[in-house]
Amino acid sequence: MKKTLSVLLALALALLPLLTFSASAEEDFGGVTLNVYNWGEYIDEQVLRDFEAKYNCRVNYKNYDSNESMYTNISGGDDPWDILVPSDYMIERLIKEDRLQPLDKSIVDNLDNLTDDVKNLSFDPDNTYSVPYLWQNVGIVFDTTKIDPATVEEKGWEIFLDPSLKGHAYMYDSSRDAFMIALKTLGFSANTDKEEEIQAAYNWLLEMNTAIKPSYVTDEMIDGMAEGFKWISLGYSGDIAYILSENEDMDFCAPKQGTNIAVDAMVIPKNAGNPKLANLFIRFVTDYDAALAISTATGYCSPNAQVMAELSGPGGEYEGNAAYLPRSGNDLDEIFHDNPSLAAKLSDLWLKVMASR
Amino acid sequence: MERKKPFWNFFTSGYLILVLLFIYLPILYVMVFSFNDSKSMVSFSGFSLRWYESMFSNRDMLDSIKNTVIIAVIATAVSTVIGTVAAIGLSKARRVIRNIILEINNLPVLNPDIVTAIGLMLLFLSLKIRRSAVTLTLAHISFCIPYVILSILPKLRQLDDNVAEAAMDLGATPWKALTRVILPQIYPAILSGALIAFSMSFDDFVISYFTAGMDVQNISMYVYSMKRFNPAVNALSAVIVIVVTMILILANLIPHLRDKKNKKEEPET
Amino acid sequence: MKSFFRMSYPYILWIAIFIVAPMILILLYAVTRSGNSTLTFRFTLENFTRFFSDPDFLRVLGTSLRIALFTTVFCILIGYPAALFIAQQPERRQTFLILLLTLPMWINMLLKTYAWRGILMNFDMDSEIKVFIGMVYDFLPYMIIQIHTAIAKLDRELLTASYDLGANKWQSFLKVTLPLSVPGIISGITLVFLPAVSSFVIPKLLGGGNYVLIGTLIENYFLVAGDWNFGSAISLIMALIIIGAMYLTRKLDRDAEEE
Repeated sequence: MKKTLSVLLALALALLPLLTFSASAEEDFGGVTLNVYNWGEYIDEQVLRDFEAKYNCRVNYKNYDSNESMYTNISGGDDPWDILVPSDYMIERLIKEDRLQPLDKSIVDNLDNLTDDVKNLSFDPDNTYSVPYLWQNVGIVFDTTKIDPATVEEKGWEIFLDPSLKGHAYMYDSSRDAFMIALKTLGFSANTDKEEEIQAAYNWLLEMNTAIKPSYVTDEMIDGMAEGFKWISLGYSGDIAYILSENEDMDFCAPKQGTNIAVDAMVIPKNAGNPKLANLFIRFVTDYDAALAISTATGYCSPNAQVMAELSGPGGEYEGNAAYLPRSGNDLDEIFHDNPSLAAKLSDLWLKVMASR
Repeated sequence: MERKKPFWNFFTSGYLILVLLFIYLPILYVMVFSFNDSKSMVSFSGFSLRWYESMFSNRDMLDSIKNTVIIAVIATAVSTVIGTVAAIGLSKARRVIRNIILEINNLPVLNPDIVTAIGLMLLFLSLKIRRSAVTLTLAHISFCIPYVILSILPKLRQLDDNVAEAAMDLGATPWKALTRVILPQIYPAILSGALIAFSMSFDDFVISYFTAGMDVQNISMYVYSMKRFNPAVNALSAVIVIVVTMILILANLIPHLRDKKNKKEEPET
Repeated sequence: MKSFFRMSYPYILWIAIFIVAPMILILLYAVTRSGNSTLTFRFTLENFTRFFSDPDFLRVLGTSLRIALFTTVFCILIGYPAALFIAQQPERRQTFLILLLTLPMWINMLLKTYAWRGILMNFDMDSEIKVFIGMVYDFLPYMIIQIHTAIAKLDRELLTASYDLGANKWQSFLKVTLPLSVPGIISGITLVFLPAVSSFVIPKLLGGGNYVLIGTLIENYFLVAGDWNFGSAISLIMALIIIGAMYLTRKLDRDAEEE
């Protein structure tokens, strides 16, 4: 029965393009491919399908799990990516290196529905090159049945030095975020390039590695924490919002020592294969429908003010979810700035932390 | 001959069964769980075809299967041709040249595949060649050829040169000598070389990972890129197991059936 | 007939491009400094000193060797009896058993590893054990087949002679079968130990983020940090170790045969 249904469905889908009115000439791109390079677990697949249907195109959607690997990938060759979704500091670097093209504001005309929190950011104050996609802060997700919330509140990032957590922790494999928590705990800026401060942070991380022997993972921590495989993890607020909605034993904490606030935004590289379609994609994704779908599916806070209010408000999917709305107004919270030599050094040191015993 | 003790028989059979169970455990496990109603890999909550539906509607997964097969077929065909020609040429070359070429030929076989992969990646990127399905296929051909040569060359060395010489003395062109005399004799080695090439290409991960472009992925790359567990992979594994099993059964049955047929046609002596 | 050697010309061109050139490139990157897309020829050995002077990197090398060693040892321990017992079966059953062993080799390594990952995800065991299970699983068939080939080739007459001379089964095994099967073991070791040193996929998928191995380093320096020079140096070091070990084992094998 299910098999016949699948066959019928497949036939119907195949015939559907013939049945629907074809898109207007301006919006018909003749099946061309749009190449989108985004973070993993960062979209609702249906949004891509809707976009493909609307503009008669195909989206080649690939993932990366760090700004650094994305940057290296696009630097090595000449791949004509149409859309990238880097974080704030990486956009800063791409702009400095003149690798992006300005947005076509005649197409991307829906920027007034963005929330004020993501407007006028230092790396691209007028949204010349970028449009915010999702934003978040970094925090701790932990199992309240195994760890006392009061302890987490009190210790903040220091909890990652607690030997009683040995073997029960994930640590996100991201050099900048790992160093951020070390630097913040030690009272330094997450953007410092002072040698002594970086060394101190490095030593803090080595101590952490010895104390709790964490599993260094990326998206694996999402299922891992949702299933309760570990007790605690460093994570991004959106993933944590999803975890909290799946597992009511889990809770979120944005530590008192301050954390990182990050905005991931869509940009169009200079050598994009399809700039017009890329601009259309950006507009499409920033609109209410797509933004709602994306924020709901991923758990990350939308830069669309209406979506943000709706999802966190009464009856919203993430109402009462401690991780959905990034913390605002805390002076210790910082956004990352671009510093290639610093990033390279941190990347190196981080590898050594993971390799140390 | 000593009479085998029944206990010993029991022990050896038992050991082999255990080893085979170990080898087949993950295969059988995922086949069972590919029909699981829930996402869980530990508790079977009911029979369902949902992961097969998921797999057949997963465009990226289907693309990766298509890419893997197409590239394996092309790589096998091209590398078998180049490899056969090369092997024949090498068997007739001067000893010194042959040894040098063979040592170089062995590099992709001896080298850890990540080093071969890096080398090819550097080659393409330094020459400003955009990585794509083409570079991926070239890379696959490149690591398949050595195996073809290694399979054919020993057989070639065993051949009696005189037969081909005689053919040409009798007026056959070199081409005829090649196709009518040499090739038929080394045919099994060519076939086995091609099979090895196919399986190496089909299974490859590391070299593909570094040489494929932004728009190509094979099955291995697809699975590696999945950070979160997607049970549709169980369905994929199950399908591959079934296909491979059927092919192996066929491959072993056909010679059997042909032998039987030949026996029937032989007159009783 | 001699003219047939000209058939090898196309291939010589091929390997010049696809085998020799890449190795030269790796070598060049390894001994130069910075500049990714343009080889700026500032020769230096700093990439090598950077690797060897850092205890963390050396520890990574050690871990890779250790995992490869344990994997090989277990493959021999489990695989040798299996190969022996298979070789003692009647011939048709032997063919069937070997066929059974080779079937999984056709299934994609990543799929099999992912299967283990799914299974082991639900057991609370040290990730090192999970990695071992995955590694041994992947390499075991190769070891069994290599040893089996060697044992199967043995002349049965030798064993019969041994029994006739009064040796029991165990002594015959120790003095006849085992020594003559050593080439098979060595061949199995080259098929297991050497690839195992460079493998990073199985430890990454099953190790739950606890293992930084040589392969992991190379992957990181090329694909994340973008430091092709250092990455090439590490690749070169690993290639030299492995190829060196290859030649060593080949020489041992040849020496053993000559005795």
